[in-house]
Amino acid sequence: MTAATGVPTAARPLRAVRAPRPIPGRLLRLELRRNAMLWMAPVAIALFWYHTYRQCMAQPPMWNLRAMTMQHGVLLDFVPPVVGAAAWMGWRDSRRRMTDLVAATAKPRLAAQLVTWAATTIWAMVAYLGCVGVLYAVIAQKATWGGPLWWPVAVGAAGIPAMSAVGFAAGSFFPSRFTTPLVTVGTLFALGFSSQGAHNASSPWQISPQLAFPADVGPDPGMGTFYHYLPDLSIAQLMLLAGLAVAALSVLGLSADSGGRWLRRSAAALTVVGLVAAVTAVDLTGTGRTDPHGMVIIPALHDAANDRPIRYQPVCSRTAIPVCLNPAYAAYLPAVMAALAPVLSEVTGLPGGPARISQTAPIYSQGPGIGIGISVRSPSLGGSPADGGNRQVSLILPGQLPGQQGTSSSQFAAEVRSIAPAIVDLVITGAPVGQDRIPGGSAAQQAVAAALLKDAGLQLAGPVRPGQIIRMPNNAVPGPTPGTPIYAAAQRFAALSAAVRHAWLVTHLAALRAGQISLAQVP
Amino acid sequence: MPLAGRRLVRLHLTSRRVPVALAVLVACGVALRIALHWPWDSYGALQLPLVFEAGSAAVIVITTASPFGEPERATGRWLPYLRLGTAVVLTAVAAAVLAAAGTGAHLTGGTLDAARNVAGLTGLGLLCAAALGGALAWTGPMVYLVVGWYALYAEWHGPALTTPWVWPARPPHDLGGALCAGLVFAAGIAVITVRGARDPAGE
Repeated sequence: MTAATGVPTAARPLRAVRAPRPIPGRLLRLELRRNAMLWMAPVAIALFWYHTYRQCMAQPPMWNLRAMTMQHGVLLDFVPPVVGAAAWMGWRDSRRRMTDLVAATAKPRLAAQLVTWAATTIWAMVAYLGCVGVLYAVIAQKATWGGPLWWPVAVGAAGIPAMSAVGFAAGSFFPSRFTTPLVTVGTLFALGFSSQGAHNASSPWQISPQLAFPADVGPDPGMGTFYHYLPDLSIAQLMLLAGLAVAALSVLGLSADSGGRWLRRSAAALTVVGLVAAVTAVDLTGTGRTDPHGMVIIPALHDAANDRPIRYQPVCSRTAIPVCLNPAYAAYLPAVMAALAPVLSEVTGLPGGPARISQTAPIYSQGPGIGIGISVRSPSLGGSPADGGNRQVSLILPGQLPGQQGTSSSQFAAEVRSIAPAIVDLVITGAPVGQDRIPGGSAAQQAVAAALLKDAGLQLAGPVRPGQIIRMPNNAVPGPTPGTPIYAAAQRFAALSAAVRHAWLVTHLAALRAGQISLAQVP
Repeated sequence: MPLAGRRLVRLHLTSRRVPVALAVLVACGVALRIALHWPWDSYGALQLPLVFEAGSAAVIVITTASPFGEPERATGRWLPYLRLGTAVVLTAVAAAVLAAAGTGAHLTGGTLDAARNVAGLTGLGLLCAAALGGALAWTGPMVYLVVGWYALYAEWHGPALTTPWVWPARPPHDLGGALCAGLVFAAGIAVITVRGARDPAGE
């Protein structure tokens, strides 16, 4: 027997073996296909449309108002679908009686749980970002100025993983048919009522992810319009939500079957880190206060660079006395003009009268104890005759625009018209007064001012003592007491034709301002 | 009731975790009573009872889930009556517990409001149980909670939702809201009695 000598054959090239796909990636793909959140996403979208979207659309078309309203409602809409789906997925293994089976896998149990949580969160985020994207696209078509506010979007985006983590952890630790509805109701209660405890910007409850504004102010159009939107409160809310998410997920690693000792110790450390972050966020919020521009300042998180005003080109009417508004309020210029036209027609052309009415930023101040006050800067007459007549009156628009929380157009007009006494007094007396008019000046000045206001369509109520607060009907302003000589002179002057009144004022305004005209000399 | 009948009822209630459900309902009542201790603002006071009513309804409808699935349907003729009795009794207990929790406290809407809302939410959940299965029946009350939540908010801030199908936003003595809630409850009871909760597929 001879040894066979084989002809050497050409070696067949080895077939390239594809590297096995990483297990977490495969597992994630499987979880994404089988996740309950995929079926709950349409529910979340429907709730978003019913609640948050319609609430946003009911607000005036301003980025700040609609973005803050979005933050106020979006997480509530996503609680039932996200928390419910996450809790449902959390106790899936127990429900299917597979706990012992999956405990024997090669990878730590915690890794598989995190993948399941991640799949739930990914679908929830897709639904959330889709809803917010559509909302912002619609706002972009309607808003007249400014750009999207991203901090409210970020807070909502951070809330989604936090909610799913809480739900998933509850489902994992308490595998029962009752866990899902109870944790859903509990989360909704905690989120929905968390803002109720906030009475001012210094309250720790201000940390509630529902609040993008001082709790007792509400979404005000002046916030983030004249000055930049401050991210202080949003950053604290992000800290809270991230801390809660980390703590809830890390708690999963504390159980004995989650993995080895080092894994459980790491999980314990992360749980502490998450809780510390959340508590720190609450503490920081408790140091907050309302800044003069209506936003919440948290000193430790504040960047002074955000305090600068926003530059803008005002939108002005083409009238003898132009009224200029911030472009964000451009849609309301006709309404403001209509409200101010009667009083402006009385003072147009008078020497030393206003050359321009310009909207200015409101000033917010925190009152003693609970409550907040929106104080208005007195309309001032800026400039001097040396400027060639560049005399400007400041105007604050009402904090409630038409359509906002049931505010009607007539209510808005009445609020705008409340500046009329201040404009008239400014022209007649030359001295700036508060927007809540306190009758001042000489008797003749009071009579002439009252007559002009009456002719502008305002009702004259009785006098108001300094410091007295009374509720007046729309279109009513303080005036002289009926039956007094001032009242009679006012009636007499108001009865004159507009042309005669105007001609007399042109001639005698300087003397009237100087107090040289007596009541008897008023025609 | 013969011994066999009593045993059947006991086994049925145990299989549906009814004792746990009763304990949870009582806990809801206690929690509501504690919550009513604090003053709540405007629409917060309106929404607070609805949260507990929805939670109670979700707990009730969860008990429709059968651990046996289809084989149970092949048993005797008592199953529909057991399902009917369980749902009705639990609903009555939930309404009574919440009404008791509001006794002596300012429960917005009062007993009538609580009973109407619990009945309507339970009916909704029972319909979900028939469609999705008992374990997923909580979706109906939870989703409707958000619907009612916003309706109560809109009642305060406007524009109000006036349809009687959103009965939490209707006054306690409102006939339309009561009829709608009653209809939904009756439909849910009828469906769950006749068909029971949908058996889970592949669980």
